[in-house]
Amino acid sequence: MYALEVKNLTKTFDKLVAVDNASFEVPEGSIFGLIGRNGAGKTTTIRMMMGIYLPDSGEVSLRGVKVGQEFKNQVGYLPEERGLYKKMKVLETLLYFAEIKGKSGREIHKKAEEYLRRFELYDRRLSKVEDLSKGNQQKLQFISTVLHEPEFIILDEPYSGLDPINTNLLREIIIEMKQKGKVIIFSTHLMDFAEKMCDHIVMIDHGKIILKGSLKEIKSKYSQKNVSLTYDGDISFLKSNPIVDSIADYGNTTGIKLKDANQAQQLLRMLLDRNVTVKKFDANDISLQEIFIELAGHEDNGTNGLSAEAERAGKKEVRNA
Amino acid sequence: MLNYRVIAIIKRELREKLFSKAFIILTLMIPGLIIVFGGVQALLYTTESKGLKFDLVVENSGLLKDFQNEFSQQDFVTKKNYVFNYLQITREDFKTYLQNKKQQIVDEKLTGIIFIPSSALKDKKIEYYAKTPQNISLSRELERPINKIFLNTFFKSKFLSAEDLDFARSGVDFTGFKVTKDEKIAQEGYGNIVLSYALSILLYISLLMIGQMAMQSVIEEKGSKIVEVILSSVSAKELMTGKILGSAITGVAQMAVWLGTILAVSSSALITLPPEVTLNIKTDLVIYILLNFFIGLVLFVGLFSMMGAIFDNAQDAASGNMPIMMLIIIPFFIAMSMMENPNKPYIEIASLFPFASIIVMPARLALIDVPVWQQVLAVIINLLTIYALFPLAGKIYRIGILRTGKKPKWSEVVKWLKYKY
Repeated sequence: MYALEVKNLTKTFDKLVAVDNASFEVPEGSIFGLIGRNGAGKTTTIRMMMGIYLPDSGEVSLRGVKVGQEFKNQVGYLPEERGLYKKMKVLETLLYFAEIKGKSGREIHKKAEEYLRRFELYDRRLSKVEDLSKGNQQKLQFISTVLHEPEFIILDEPYSGLDPINTNLLREIIIEMKQKGKVIIFSTHLMDFAEKMCDHIVMIDHGKIILKGSLKEIKSKYSQKNVSLTYDGDISFLKSNPIVDSIADYGNTTGIKLKDANQAQQLLRMLLDRNVTVKKFDANDISLQEIFIELAGHEDNGTNGLSAEAERAGKKEVRNA
Repeated sequence: MLNYRVIAIIKRELREKLFSKAFIILTLMIPGLIIVFGGVQALLYTTESKGLKFDLVVENSGLLKDFQNEFSQQDFVTKKNYVFNYLQITREDFKTYLQNKKQQIVDEKLTGIIFIPSSALKDKKIEYYAKTPQNISLSRELERPINKIFLNTFFKSKFLSAEDLDFARSGVDFTGFKVTKDEKIAQEGYGNIVLSYALSILLYISLLMIGQMAMQSVIEEKGSKIVEVILSSVSAKELMTGKILGSAITGVAQMAVWLGTILAVSSSALITLPPEVTLNIKTDLVIYILLNFFIGLVLFVGLFSMMGAIFDNAQDAASGNMPIMMLIIIPFFIAMSMMENPNKPYIEIASLFPFASIIVMPARLALIDVPVWQQVLAVIINLLTIYALFPLAGKIYRIGILRTGKKPKWSEVVKWLKYKY
């Protein structure tokens, strides 16, 4: 059985369809990525899963039962735009967040202090939140997300605005939670982060689910005609080559899509013949970024912010080639 | 409804509001003022009633007896212990007499000398010699009895009976009597008007203060984005309920401190208020006001929270919540206008009208006897208003707190009501 099942969720704001008939499943013990560009409907989906928004139609079930307060109590949620009560004290904040999750008493107090020690905030436990640095406020927010020992951890764009130290710290927490068998769901528009962390993903674009499944399966499915190449030299001759479908330059690596999966050996031979120095030649490999662009990049009518712009620019290059 | 989540929210609200230093100081300032006000009143009353010594000097020996008789019956002699020494001295001798008494007046052994020359029977001009001759209350007190003697003397030769004279002389004496169900009909002082004023002002201040605080707190939660974290644990309804109850409890506690002080001052043996400003406040009135106020706070805080949720910042909210402020300000002025005549027809309506009854009813109760059914009805009407408005306010709150960006138009807010959230 799946830990969470999302069935036919739809949410409309005025005339904008934010989430359009989305269905996906979150397996037990997985790190689950909800990927898509800004404005694709990730946060709305998460808010519906949390019961913060009511869906227009569809439902979310927790191990077969429709989600409700029971689920809320089992979730640690870190929204994209994080916030704390500025006038509250550090320890007080943690205890309050635990209390509204139904956890109070000496044990949680002890645990809060443990976390504060581990995150080097113990000395500041009686300081007001507003007196903490931004980095320390972020740490406090992480602790408040996991202090009540949630079964599910939902992180909405967790890496936005984090400094490198806190990025590592958060990664540490995620791994630790995964080892404890918790389900971690996070949304991001950063494909390489998702690629490194997730074992299952859902890709969402313009409110629609365009891809879902385990990362391994997805990659093997989409990588068949794909070669990931790192090289020195001139490969412009490939542009007009009949075996090449398209070329996408990602800076360090170049993704080459072949017309037929069996032509990889032929491609390698051609590169060597033309004296191109091949540093890395990875047949049947594809980045999530490439998959995403292949699936969603052709739409130009979205108003999805910078990342979408960049993706479209990338796509045009490919087309020109 | 009152589950552990709501209770946790109420506790936090109380910690933040009721137990904040600024709030405690503000709350205690008012009782301080009440005590100071009561103390000053009492002090004035007691110093004023201390014995004052006057020499009443009459030039016309025939009048001496009349003054003795008349003054001995006056309140300022019987109650306030003014002491008069009656003398008969001619105008010529008066100068030497005054010279001799000068030192006593300067030393305040003698308060003053009132000289009534014979000419006063024609022009009614008398003289007063004292260290502080500009004493309005003294001249007001002495004017009537002195005038009476002048008139008596004047009409004696006109063959009028004493009864006719009395009638001709008397002004209209308008004494207010408060009629209640109780057996005795009590003579009414200014105390009830003072109490009515005090209640109106206190309720007004507290409503504004608590309402604004509640709105600020919603704006802060929305602005700092904390609301989304909270909503991942509790429902919007629970959050709103907790916040409203937290604010209402804070407001009632504040009002209880204030009314308790008035109750203590008015019944304390330490501070004796002059009889005309004795505050007739009873415990059951206080309890009714607190209950009425609690419901009123729930109603207003609900609306203020809704406003806080609609707007992103305090400036937008300040202009946006004008309609709600009016629901506090207008009743306040109605309550103030009541002091003139508590029986104006619109006052009865206002004291039952939703929102308005929160200030007007207590102010009215302090002045006149209001039938119990009206007191109960006022509360019921406010409860019904809550019942009718809160589903809408709750929905706007729920939608508003997660909205950011440009200030919404009212037409958009109305549209929110149709959303499924």
